[in-house]
Amino acid sequence: MNRHLLPEEIDQLLDGEVGFGTAPLKQHVRTCAECRAELESARVLVGQLEQLPHFTLPTRFSEEVMERVHVFVPWHVALADSVRAFIPQQRRWRAAAWTGVATLASVVLIATLWMVTRLDAVLFVVELGVGRVRAAGAWAFSNLVVTLFGDTAAQALSSSGPAGIALAFLVTVLTALLAVGALRVVVAGARRR
Amino acid sequence: MPLSLELTNLPDADVAALARGGRDAAFRELVRRYERPVFSLIYRMVRDRELAEDLAQDTFVKVLNHIDRYRPEFKFSSWLFKIANNLTIDYLRKRRLDTVSIDGSPHAATAAEKEATSFDVSARGESPLDEIESRELGGAIEEAIAKLRPEYRACILLRHVEDRSYEEIAATLDLPLGTVKTYIHRARHELREALGHLRS
Repeated sequence: MNRHLLPEEIDQLLDGEVGFGTAPLKQHVRTCAECRAELESARVLVGQLEQLPHFTLPTRFSEEVMERVHVFVPWHVALADSVRAFIPQQRRWRAAAWTGVATLASVVLIATLWMVTRLDAVLFVVELGVGRVRAAGAWAFSNLVVTLFGDTAAQALSSSGPAGIALAFLVTVLTALLAVGALRVVVAGARRR
Repeated sequence: MPLSLELTNLPDADVAALARGGRDAAFRELVRRYERPVFSLIYRMVRDRELAEDLAQDTFVKVLNHIDRYRPEFKFSSWLFKIANNLTIDYLRKRRLDTVSIDGSPHAATAAEKEATSFDVSARGESPLDEIESRELGGAIEEAIAKLRPEYRACILLRHVEDRSYEEIAATLDLPLGTVKTYIHRARHELREALGHLRS
């Protein structure tokens, strides 16, 4: 090569390109002091650029970013995270927790199997419980009606049958909702003043 | 093992996939990995620490809020730098339009109006933040980088500070490969010219 290197040829050497094309360029640099100085000067610059540091940020930076990021957490991920939060970090406690869970699951399984074999007894107990809850509810409701509207209203209600009871219940709920709404309007008006 | 510890060993694409799945820790990991490179690039572009912080924050917010748009066949960092560069270039363009002459508004009709709209650069007091900036960006090479055109600056910083290949820079900046090579060549040339007096 009987000429000096072109700027793009200097760049090729600088970028460490390899191939047949670069061999004569390297050969030329070995013999030409001017091109060697040019390449060396470019290498010094690249070295300086490569040593430029990354600047540090205040520690609050990532928190401020996360405050503005809307993380959509699907329900299964939220559930998995919640479960993971309850799993102990230490191996010993984790083993104890798994033993406890396994014991509880075994007890539940045995109880379920027992109930399946005694289905008639289970149904009898459930029916008895439902009847008692219903009787307690009716007694509480009748007491409430007597307290609020008196004995006469309670007798009229019990003689009107299920439709009458439902109608009275509906009227009571609507009255309560209207009263709450009116109170909110009054409070909002007072705040504005 | 906590999730955050496992994340540090995963490649970007996997962490981004976890972020897409709603993992808060994955979002934090992406910020941790790239906050310094992104901030450094922007800071060297705008040379104002507070503004660079705001632009870096906007970059991460934009990227993380649209993580579902990330395509794993591309490098996550290229996508991130692309958004950082776009926001910065947009800001620099806008600032150039909004720039007011220090000699006063060209629309000033009288000498008094001209006086009122001008400002004295030397009278500007140096705040602690300015001091930090002049310490961080005060080196001869930083000064020389600041004098480059923004396009050259982005290319040379991505090439030599972030160690990106020409192809990655072309993809990041949406430029043809030949243009990237030209910009980097010109940037190197201008930097060598600017720093020549220091070597002689």
